[in-house]
Amino acid sequence: MRIRTIIIIGETEFKTKLQELFSKAGFKVIMSDLNQDYDKQASEADLVLETVSEDIVLKEEVFKRCDAKCPEQAILATTTAKPWVTQIAEVTRRPEKVVGLNFTKNPFDEKYLVQIIRGLQTSDDTIQVSKELLEQVGVTAVKIGETPGYILDRVIASVVNEAALMYTTKLATVEDIDKMMKICTNWPMGPFEFADTIGVDKVVEILESLSQQLGPRYLPCFLLRKMVNAGWLGKKTKRGFYIYS
Amino acid sequence: MEIRRIGVLGAGTMGHGIAQVCAQSGYQVNLQDIKDEFVEAGISKIQKFLDGSVERKRMTQDEADLTSSRIKGTTDLREAAKDVDLVIEAIVEDINIKKDVFKELDQICPEDAIFASNTSAQSITEMAMVTKHPDRFIGMHWFNPPQLMRGIEVIVTDKTSQETLDTMVNLCKKLGKEPGICKDSPGFIVNRLLQIWYNESLNMFDEGVADPQDIDTALKVAYNFRMGPFELRDLVGLDVALVVSETHYRELMREQFKPPRCLVMKVKAGDLGRKTGRGFYEYESKT
Ligand SMILES: NC(=O)c1ccc[n+]([C@@H]2O[C@H](COP(=O)([O-])OP(=O)(O)OC[C@H]3O[C@@H](n4cnc5c(N)ncnc54)[C@H](O)[C@@H]3O)[C@@H](O)[C@H]2O)c1
Repeated sequence: MRIRTIIIIGETEFKTKLQELFSKAGFKVIMSDLNQDYDKQASEADLVLETVSEDIVLKEEVFKRCDAKCPEQAILATTTAKPWVTQIAEVTRRPEKVVGLNFTKNPFDEKYLVQIIRGLQTSDDTIQVSKELLEQVGVTAVKIGETPGYILDRVIASVVNEAALMYTTKLATVEDIDKMMKICTNWPMGPFEFADTIGVDKVVEILESLSQQLGPRYLPCFLLRKMVNAGWLGKKTKRGFYIYS
Repeated sequence: MEIRRIGVLGAGTMGHGIAQVCAQSGYQVNLQDIKDEFVEAGISKIQKFLDGSVERKRMTQDEADLTSSRIKGTTDLREAAKDVDLVIEAIVEDINIKKDVFKELDQICPEDAIFASNTSAQSITEMAMVTKHPDRFIGMHWFNPPQLMRGIEVIVTDKTSQETLDTMVNLCKKLGKEPGICKDSPGFIVNRLLQIWYNESLNMFDEGVADPQDIDTALKVAYNFRMGPFELRDLVGLDVALVVSETHYRELMREQFKPPRCLVMKVKAGDLGRKTGRGFYEYESKT
């Protein structure tokens, strides 16, 4: 199938960025939000791109309503960062056409990477169409299954957890750990800089979710939990492992 | 304390580079290995590097000459160590051989000499305890190639004195390097965290979450890693990777260090990466 018209339903500022990306690539983009009759607007869309806040109840409602009004062949996509694709798909009558399209902004060059997330029911065709769509838009996309944090933040969260343990057990300082990872193995950022960028709360959430699915080895280091309680979440709160002014 | 003369033991991959860096910064260096041919090979590698630097105008001919004039090769441990302020050991990665060498050094070196080991995976504490002065024993973990890599992990044990640490930190700076201090523990900072980065990526492949190429691409495109974990594993060799992985698992005894199944199976199947033409990726010709 060919995608021509896209409806973006969301509350976040990220919405305008999406609009820009797809409009520039020549797609017809309808902008909508929860205060509008988005399901009616969705009736002429080939792709629904949901980007409302991370609330499963809200998302399920959006999908249910869009599913009822959208053309039969339309794809319903969620930008969620949580492993919810399978669950969201389940409320529709077209679970094979439901997919996750998670956009991550590169903190250095501001370009996007999209992780195309396959739910249990998602069809090969839906994945293929999504992949081609993103090629047209000119963003790099990778195909993955559902897992907490997806590829990127699962790897980073695991590294952060080990680094936090090394710091708590006084093996090395935050500064030295970050510095060595950057200059001895060319990492773009050290683990603590990553934690502050992604958000310590998000790191803890991913680790908790991983520990539920895959076992206690993922349990977040005590220090990380304490930082969340203290509200030291990273750059967004001006304090994480580092202090930002 | 002030360092003037340095003994570098082992003239292999690391030793010759370490000797060169020290000599370039003005230190007198005794470079020792067990056979003349190894010493000569090390010194000729240094010469080649220096010639290249002169050619590329990174160094003047005088600087290059001065550097090589500061390096004295020998196969005699006594000769190499009797008048040095610091020994940097970069010999084979065998704890027993290393311990024997340090015991011998204890008899040869001046009383106040500092002993440093460049080991990647052996316990600094264990080595320190065979000497009479564990307070003057420290880890100095360089990265390959020493001439180009700027970071050095300085590894302290419970016995290392503050003065020894200060001396080493100062030395690193005089050598134009960045020291990072870490307590003696498996993998120190860098290798330990790299293990997690590799394992978590490989685990996702084992779980069927994503293919190597997609994982590599994601980490490179979104977070600017220069190479992905699978590409790097193939480059270094999966057999080497498995040995390092097993060492960390054995030492740290935690599940996150357990060698991922895909790594174990690839090694069993003889697919060792670039060198065999196939690892996590296929390569056209063997190199
Ligand atoms: N290669 C790396 O990337 C790297 C990085 C950091 C640390 N290291 C560590 O550095 C040390 C040396 O590694 P390498 O890669 O240079 O190995 P290598 O095999 O290239 O060199 C070791 C040299 O030591 C010599 N040697 C062996 N026994 C000796 C003895 N009793 N006295 C004097 N010389 C002896 C050998 O003849 C050889 O020339 C090891 O402990 C290793 O773990 C290696």
